Amino acid sequence: METNFNVPQRQSAVGIVVMFFDTIQEYARALWPILVVWIFKFNTIPKLWLTLGALFVFVVIGIIAYLKYLNFTFFLDNENDEFVVTEGVFNKTKTTIQLHKIQQVNIKQSLLQRFIGVHALDVDTAGTNDKEVSIKAISHSIALELKSRLLDNERKVQTESVSETPESAFDEQPFISIGLLSLFKVGITSNYIRSLTLLLAFFATIYDNVMHFSNNGYIDGDEFSSYFERNVLMRSIGMLVVVLLCAMLVINVVRTIVRYFDYKIAKQKGSLLLSFGLFNTKSTIIKPEKVQIVAVTQNYFQKKMNILELRIKQATSGGKEERKQAIEIPGCNKNERDAILKLLFSKIPEKGVMLKPNFRKLGFAIFLTIVLPLCGFYLLAFNGAPQFFEFNYLAIVYVIFVLLVLCFGFRNYRLYISDRFIIKQSGAWDIRNEIIEPQKIQALTVSQLFWHKSADIGYLTIHTAGGNVGFQLGDFTVIKQYVNLWLYEMETSDSNWM
Amino acid sequence: MENFTNETIDTAQLPKFEEVRLTALHPDYWKVIMAQLAVLLLILATALAFALYSIEELAAYSNRLIVAAAVLAVLIVFFSRIAFRKKAYAFRNHDVLFRRGIIATTTIVIPYNRVQHVALHEGLISRFFGLAKVEIFTAGGSSSDIEIPGIEKEQAENIKQLLMIKIQKQL
Repeated sequence: METNFNVPQRQSAVGIVVMFFDTIQEYARALWPILVVWIFKFNTIPKLWLTLGALFVFVVIGIIAYLKYLNFTFFLDNENDEFVVTEGVFNKTKTTIQLHKIQQVNIKQSLLQRFIGVHALDVDTAGTNDKEVSIKAISHSIALELKSRLLDNERKVQTESVSETPESAFDEQPFISIGLLSLFKVGITSNYIRSLTLLLAFFATIYDNVMHFSNNGYIDGDEFSSYFERNVLMRSIGMLVVVLLCAMLVINVVRTIVRYFDYKIAKQKGSLLLSFGLFNTKSTIIKPEKVQIVAVTQNYFQKKMNILELRIKQATSGGKEERKQAIEIPGCNKNERDAILKLLFSKIPEKGVMLKPNFRKLGFAIFLTIVLPLCGFYLLAFNGAPQFFEFNYLAIVYVIFVLLVLCFGFRNYRLYISDRFIIKQSGAWDIRNEIIEPQKIQALTVSQLFWHKSADIGYLTIHTAGGNVGFQLGDFTVIKQYVNLWLYEMETSDSNWM
Repeated sequence: MENFTNETIDTAQLPKFEEVRLTALHPDYWKVIMAQLAVLLLILATALAFALYSIEELAAYSNRLIVAAAVLAVLIVFFSRIAFRKKAYAFRNHDVLFRRGIIATTTIVIPYNRVQHVALHEGLISRFFGLAKVEIFTAGGSSSDIEIPGIEKEQAENIKQLLMIKIQKQL
């Protein structure tokens, strides 16, 4: 059976049922507070009203479902190679997708759809996270036909990019393999923040338990918190911190080794093949043309030990999970980093013109993280909570710590622009360099608060298919100049961003 | 390769996106916003009236509450007006510009060769005024998509057609 997709088509008539249940679900989700009230008042409302009301709601939803069915049409525009979907009862939306932009077509069937013998067809492009178009109810034969027609166009373009499986890859000698020693170094020098939060969480639980314990009558007031007891407490807490820090380091090392054991990187036809893992070996393939952002992270200790971490973000057409994940290469040294970067970019990225943030960035950060909390703290202390004064020393420690972090963060906050690369450097302890190629840019956003106009500073956001990179409070004239340059470069070349 | 040249670009001579004359939204779109706001405020006002009527402890504060609600409503309308007047768009030969923002002025630029697909959306109230919204999607995720509301239906169709042609030409 040859279906003519060139004229607007409706879904299967039984699709009304799917629409009906979809609409119920949608409204139930929107109106659940009212439903909850109804359920609680179930007994107080007369039965007749309830039945009539329910009947009325069902009829209305039925009509809406029918109208949705009537207004949902799709067709293939052969002239322009487009797939056009029109939908909506009151709010009408017409979505047009170029056939060659379609990345995936999925045919699915939910329980209800299986019951009435229809299938759903989702069309996905590289764009937004959601699927762009979802046809809820068509028969299997039409779904298959439509799928083949939708993907027909793409196949010509796509054939060469169909990848060979990573399994067959390791005939060649890996050109980088990361040894146990490097992983050990990574383990003891990274993830401090996460360890610290774990530590704090652990302490909070213990503290909570102690308070619970004391409230249960073992310690019955403030009198017991004498100097002697406090001294003992302090010492034991100190011991605990040391023990926990050691435990954290051990856990960090073990985790890193289990995860990245036997990390091997091999080259194949210009792509990178990675495999790693102690218990379950993971393999991934990195194609240079799909790479959007490469982040190189290194802190002071790691610099001394000559190790660093690479994170590679690729453009993906798949689900949200895949999109978020970056590929990590831990513990490579400088030469290995250069080799990888050379393979990905065919050149080692150089840092070009340097852009510094305005001092107001530091000022605002200090205001937000130091001035405001301190004001709150002392406001509370002066107004009826004098016991807060006992924690004065904590406030001082906090201010010094945060000030150090902010100052280092500000000093490291830079944007380097050269002809072929944009590199954003940031971070206080872990210094991170995010590398983008201008032709991978999808869109550019510039933004300026009105009181920054006279100072001529503003924000820049670079959107890529692997995420955004932003630069705050840079020289606005320079930013605008580079935006114009990048736009020019993007618009005059047909460079492949994926 | 023989036709390939690589001259230095004079950055000062490049077309400047910040100097492009932008088109404001259709004046009727303000009516659409007002209608939407009216519905929203009406619902909120009803809720407030209901609360004042049914909760007796609030009776003492009723005047103050009503004044606060009125001030809030005026502020919402005021900021909506600013947001409406700030919104503007332009279609250049090679890219589309959209400006928005209340406190900050944000301009987003999408080159046509990065557009993934285009959609035309007509809201219920917008349809009454013959207006439509053009939505332009890129592969950069939702933060880099543009939604231009308040364009006349016919013009919106033209814009969409133009975009589709531009996208196609890039191949």
